[in-house]
Amino acid sequence: MIGLPETKGVSSMINRRKVLSAVLTGMMAATAVAGSALVATAETAWPEKPVRIIVSFPPGGSSDLIARLLSEHLTTELGQQFVVENKPGAAGTVAATALMEAEGDGYTLMLSNLTPFSVAPTRFPDTPYDPIADFSHVTYIGTVNLGLFVRPSLEVSDFAGFMELVKSAPGDIDYGTSGVGSWGQVISVQFQAETGAEMVHVPYKGSGPLRQDFRADVIPVIFDAIPQNLPSVADGETIPLAVSSKERVPTLPDTPTFTELGYPIVAENWLGVSAPAGLDSEISAKLDGALQKVMAMPAVSDQFETWGIIRGTKTSAEFSDYVASQATSWAPLVKAAVKK
Amino acid sequence: MDLITNLGIGFATAATPYNLVHCFAGVFLGTFIGVLPGVGPLAAVAMLLPVTFYLPPETALVMLAGVYYGAEYGGSIASILLNIPGTPSASVTCLDGYPLAQKGRAGVALFITAMASFFGGVFGVVVMALLSPVLAEFALSFGPAEYFSVMVLGLIAASVVSNSGVLRGVIMVCAGILLGTVGVDVNSGETRFTGGIQELRDGVSLVVVAMGLFGISEVIVSVRGATQSYATTKISMRDFFPTGAEWIRSIAPAVRGSVVGSFFGTLPGTGQTVASFVGYALEKRISKNGENFGKGAIEGVVVPESANNAAAQTAFIPTLTLGIPGSTTMALMLGALMIHGITPGPRLITEHPELFWGLIVSFLFGNLFLLVLNIPLIGLWVRLLRIPHLYLYPAVVILICVGVYSIDNSVFDIWITLLFGMLGYVMRLYRFEPAPLLIGFVLGPMMEEFFRRTMLLSRGDPLVFLERPGSAALLIAAALLLAWALLPKGTIKRLLLPQKDI
Repeated sequence: MIGLPETKGVSSMINRRKVLSAVLTGMMAATAVAGSALVATAETAWPEKPVRIIVSFPPGGSSDLIARLLSEHLTTELGQQFVVENKPGAAGTVAATALMEAEGDGYTLMLSNLTPFSVAPTRFPDTPYDPIADFSHVTYIGTVNLGLFVRPSLEVSDFAGFMELVKSAPGDIDYGTSGVGSWGQVISVQFQAETGAEMVHVPYKGSGPLRQDFRADVIPVIFDAIPQNLPSVADGETIPLAVSSKERVPTLPDTPTFTELGYPIVAENWLGVSAPAGLDSEISAKLDGALQKVMAMPAVSDQFETWGIIRGTKTSAEFSDYVASQATSWAPLVKAAVKK
Repeated sequence: MDLITNLGIGFATAATPYNLVHCFAGVFLGTFIGVLPGVGPLAAVAMLLPVTFYLPPETALVMLAGVYYGAEYGGSIASILLNIPGTPSASVTCLDGYPLAQKGRAGVALFITAMASFFGGVFGVVVMALLSPVLAEFALSFGPAEYFSVMVLGLIAASVVSNSGVLRGVIMVCAGILLGTVGVDVNSGETRFTGGIQELRDGVSLVVVAMGLFGISEVIVSVRGATQSYATTKISMRDFFPTGAEWIRSIAPAVRGSVVGSFFGTLPGTGQTVASFVGYALEKRISKNGENFGKGAIEGVVVPESANNAAAQTAFIPTLTLGIPGSTTMALMLGALMIHGITPGPRLITEHPELFWGLIVSFLFGNLFLLVLNIPLIGLWVRLLRIPHLYLYPAVVILICVGVYSIDNSVFDIWITLLFGMLGYVMRLYRFEPAPLLIGFVLGPMMEEFFRRTMLLSRGDPLVFLERPGSAALLIAAALLLAWALLPKGTIKRLLLPQKDI
């Protein structure tokens, strides 16, 4: 796998050396020989200076916290400062553009997620990057899932009851999402297409204002990420009807998935660590190894659990394929959702 | 009584030496961050966030909150001394604070600012302690229609802020509204007026506009030598104290400012800038000294300062009781809690009373610290004026650039700030004031958003604004304010109380 595509401009000498060292590393890992002198020659010297992790959200959100938690541990693990840099704006495309423009030397990384890589390129046709060709997607972290939530004032307790109500009053019920082109809105459009339900969309500027009006009964239905709604679910202020994951989520074990209910709606807001294209495979391997180790620590995995992140493992190659498949599967949905 | 038990819990948490030290560190840092033009509490809180990994949650929050409201104290210092606001909400303080400084009364202005900030802050804390649950419910009862109506009130208030005539004020408000439309439209998802520039998709940031129009333009003016040098004025400690009459004149405005500030603070998303503008505008109409506003009226400093500090405190009500952050800085505070596995929500007060009440009591300590810290510092700040402009202003420009960059780590924002600086300068040449533009910029987009949301929910029926009592009351208040501004003095009084004329 490693070094397979003959990228232009790279001499075969270097490639051969890369392959050789990769093979060496692989052999050592396989035989578990702790030859420290050999490791030093085979392993890359990266990182030799501070590494920045770009986050496409303002500080304080869950993505930002994930990046900060990881960078704390990566700093100890790899002996160089990992610095979080928030570059919010334009649905994450500002951050992804900055990543694309950076050197692929391993000193600029990004906490990648669904929006800039799978939604924005379709939503904004002038997006200056290709979500696959311009990046090296290194480590898959996991997903956050979407839920369909209603207020008790709607007087329905399950999905069937909800569908009955919606069908009896087409165009009467308002629902909210965190904005046009947000994954919640994209899925809400797919939901209406699949179920034949007709509701009126009320867009908000993010999940905060959305949940404020939801709690105030201004809008009785929302499509929103699950974690931030769990406290009000526990309080009985919010009723979860369905979730968008493949399997039921551990935080809402009694809530069915859309698939169980007979609708092929699966939406995962995936999270990962990506780098600009052309990242050295040794650096990629070392970074991935460090991240896997860090994410296995209870201090990190427990936090992820409380933040509602469903961990999963993929190799870097699988992760790249996953990003590519997500981009293709979201494209028609996004097109359908934002066309006016 | 419940309150006493709760405050007891709060004292037990907040009054430990460990938490007091962190509280002091927070407000101390906050004051300095606030003084620096452009560098706001967001950058400071973001930088401190990793520290909270190692602190207990209540200590972390006490410190971060200290930075936040401390910056509100510090924000007015550069407004008064240099006509350059440290934070956007201190823009209003420029209007009367700077003229006061030009009259050689900078010390008095700073002193009264510290007192007004303290009063507003403590007022906000008391409101929070007594009324948090009630106000949280109140904030929820405020639907899109009410938000829209309160914005209308705010905009009309803003038009009368202008000192160079209502027409010029209205023109600037409209310019601000237009500027606010840049970016992706919430309702349709369409991109408006970005000229294909990716960075403009989320619009122009408030700090960029405020720092450009107020800060950079002031620097350009000073290069032209348009401001008189008063740097040699000697100020002794005695000159800090306001006269007895000024003390008395300040009491009612401080109370009114605090009430307005507490009100806007509880509404997520509006915040200190709106609070200080509306407070100032209302006071200008109410005050007997109204005609001196903009020329160095003490009340013109007292009101915005008490309002923005009260709002800084009550902004914690929706954040903590509902788990809904009203601003990015508030989102960071919630982030500090999430790091410790506490998900903010309606149950926070009952599940973590030590955190909620500890924070409230720490606010009291923090405000006290700020007062004690700020009064002796006045002498130091005033000495800033003795620094030759040759050194001071380049430093100010650098600070503004650093501050603006720190919001989104965007170089583009620096260029936009410089552009707004030039625009601000041209506006000044033609006697157009930046303050109404700024408020139009803040309120315009929100007004549009809430108007269209209301229309969407009412299926296009505009009567909903009058059917909802809260909304109707606010619109009537707005109409009265407009009449008050347009009709000759005394007309309304005659109309409302005809018998008195006889």
